Amino acid sequence: MKWKHKHLLGIDQLSGEEIRFLLEKGNQYREWLEQSPKKLTRLSGYCLINLFFEASTRTRVSFEMAGKLLGMEVVNFTNELSSLNKGESFRDTVRTLARMKVDALVIRHRSSGIPLYISQFLPFHIINAGDGMREHPTQALLDLLTMKRDGIDFTRNTVAIIGDILHSRVARSLSIGLKKLGSQVIFSGPPTLIPKGIEVLEGQVVYPVEEAIRQADVVYLLRIQKERQEAGFFPSAKEYASFFGLKEKPKGPDGRWKKIMHPGPVNRGLEIDSSLVEKENSLIEEQVSCGLAIRMAVLETLILGGANG
Amino acid sequence: MNKVLIKNGTLILPQSKRTIEADVLIDDGVIVQIEPGINDGKAERINASGYLVGPGFINLHVHFREPGEEKKEDLFSGSRAAVKGGFTSVLCMPNTRPPIDSPLLISYLLSRAREVGLVNVFSAATISLGLEGKAMTDLGLLINAGAKALSDDGKCVKDSRLLYLLMTYSRYFHLPIILHEEDIDIAGEGQVNEGSMAVKMGYRSLPKVAEDSMIARDLVLAHSTGATVHFTHLSTALSVKLIEWFQNQGAKVTADVTPHHLLLDDQSIIQYGSRAKVKPPLRDQTDIVALKEGIQRGVIGILASDHAPHTNEDKEGDFNEAAFGISNLEITVPLYVKALIDDQSISWLDFWKLLSFNPAQFLGLTKKGSLEIGMDADIAIIDPETHHEVKVNEFVSKGKNCPFDGWQLKGWPVTTIVNGKILMRHSKLEA
Repeated sequence: MKWKHKHLLGIDQLSGEEIRFLLEKGNQYREWLEQSPKKLTRLSGYCLINLFFEASTRTRVSFEMAGKLLGMEVVNFTNELSSLNKGESFRDTVRTLARMKVDALVIRHRSSGIPLYISQFLPFHIINAGDGMREHPTQALLDLLTMKRDGIDFTRNTVAIIGDILHSRVARSLSIGLKKLGSQVIFSGPPTLIPKGIEVLEGQVVYPVEEAIRQADVVYLLRIQKERQEAGFFPSAKEYASFFGLKEKPKGPDGRWKKIMHPGPVNRGLEIDSSLVEKENSLIEEQVSCGLAIRMAVLETLILGGANG
Repeated sequence: MNKVLIKNGTLILPQSKRTIEADVLIDDGVIVQIEPGINDGKAERINASGYLVGPGFINLHVHFREPGEEKKEDLFSGSRAAVKGGFTSVLCMPNTRPPIDSPLLISYLLSRAREVGLVNVFSAATISLGLEGKAMTDLGLLINAGAKALSDDGKCVKDSRLLYLLMTYSRYFHLPIILHEEDIDIAGEGQVNEGSMAVKMGYRSLPKVAEDSMIARDLVLAHSTGATVHFTHLSTALSVKLIEWFQNQGAKVTADVTPHHLLLDDQSIIQYGSRAKVKPPLRDQTDIVALKEGIQRGVIGILASDHAPHTNEDKEGDFNEAAFGISNLEITVPLYVKALIDDQSISWLDFWKLLSFNPAQFLGLTKKGSLEIGMDADIAIIDPETHHEVKVNEFVSKGKNCPFDGWQLKGWPVTTIVNGKILMRHSKLEA
């Protein structure tokens, strides 16, 4: 297909067909990742800059590896080392980087809307690696790829997203993506972390968590940040684990185990019992591999315009 | 277990809104038969001729002071006062020392209550850790440990954000929140109602606005979050109007009063001194009229006590240093008879609804609050006619801090049965 988007700012801008296209390409890369040694030259000569204003390990490393495996030159830029600490404005920093004449820029920032903002004046491809509480499109794509590869039929699939929906860009991007592929979405968790206006995401809020899990095929647990407790959204880690954490392997009416997913990093014993993380029905580790594959697919598609698909 | 047969009483059935002449048979702690002319040779008979028989009274607001302030009251003395007062279930406020703010403490308190084993003792847990008004308690774990409600009673929750998050969070657990309303920035060191009495006596005042403004804030919060919120010990006319307005908007808000706020106004300070010093303070006649109308219209759905026992030392001496509170558990029923039945504000059916059926519903006690076959045999029998003098020195409560000493009241409980056990028979305590 001819790819019409210059940037990947959010799942919201993609059609179902475009998502399926990226998943297909991601699937091919996921297969390809199994071989060793591995090196492609498809994007040889192109330059990628990773611009992370927020702490990240897996997403940054994943983008870096994806670029390198495709033959790109990759430069990492983190906030601590930047001129922003010398008083340079955000806009000036970004414009300076623009003069480096790179081809694609991956950005993570704590403020919602930053990728859209810089896409309006920077001349190259912008990939959103998470902006505030708005979107994290490659996370959603990797989650969808993981489900697809597990044999899930999106048109007959219900995903329960549990935990801190309020602050989660992952929940937003994933639920939007799932709806575009025809899945049902359920939200559950502490009512303090489920925002008013959630109807816009077209999911259904179901209480209690046990009931949400009962209705779901896939249980998607969100990471709970320690500062949410400090800010008073729930009383304690113990209480969270008791009522909102996953404590046992969820079983369907047909006796099959439901799949467990988590964007990572996992707080063992908080949102999920430690013993469940590595269980056979857990897709949590496979999500990481799919993350690398889908980022290769995204880089290739944006830069080469989908022609090579 | 032995059977009890209550003969020839007038039965008050608040759930079916009926009054009937019939007998009640209790077997093994459960009501098993209700009809006229029951005979059972093995049952212990209680003659209730001329008396009213209804479900035991349930008190949503008592301070039994345990743990930590057993000089003022403990679970045993408080429970005996409850029995004498016709109360078969009570909800203890958690502002003890330490406050009941953890599952461990609530488990401890409830196990102590089982040891005492007289009336059904339920407990609220605190809203905030240590009653400090900063961080919320583990309310889900507290419910699992047996908490029936949340309250920082004795203190107002000042932090709006804490209350907003708590109300939102509490919906998950269907746990009611009981609020003591008093903007402490306004109330400060106030002692009595704002107005002519405060001026005349030279006491600092507790303005109505301190109470009303917080109630207004929390009504908005309750309505917005959908939480179940209960305002305890209402004292002002405006608060009744505010609550009624929000009830009409669909907010899940309820309220209770105390007997003293219906019977005494701020003039009482002259006669009773610190014995009439209480929070909220005794208000005006216009407030009393409004509270009674609020009860009649159902805005105030529960009659409680705010039984607040203190030692004499806590109440004596300097008025400004004296503790707030009135000990009234064993005379709450006759006080409400004087306040509401004598002037025909409400019927006996309503009386039982407000003192038993509604509080049982509020606490989710499905086996209590009604006189029906299959319900727990918690029963109060009262003599509606005979007057007796209130003798505070005969209180079984440790708290003798009560302004009603010497009052002639009628409507006294004569027999109290809890879980099929007769704990007071013909005005004699058997506990």
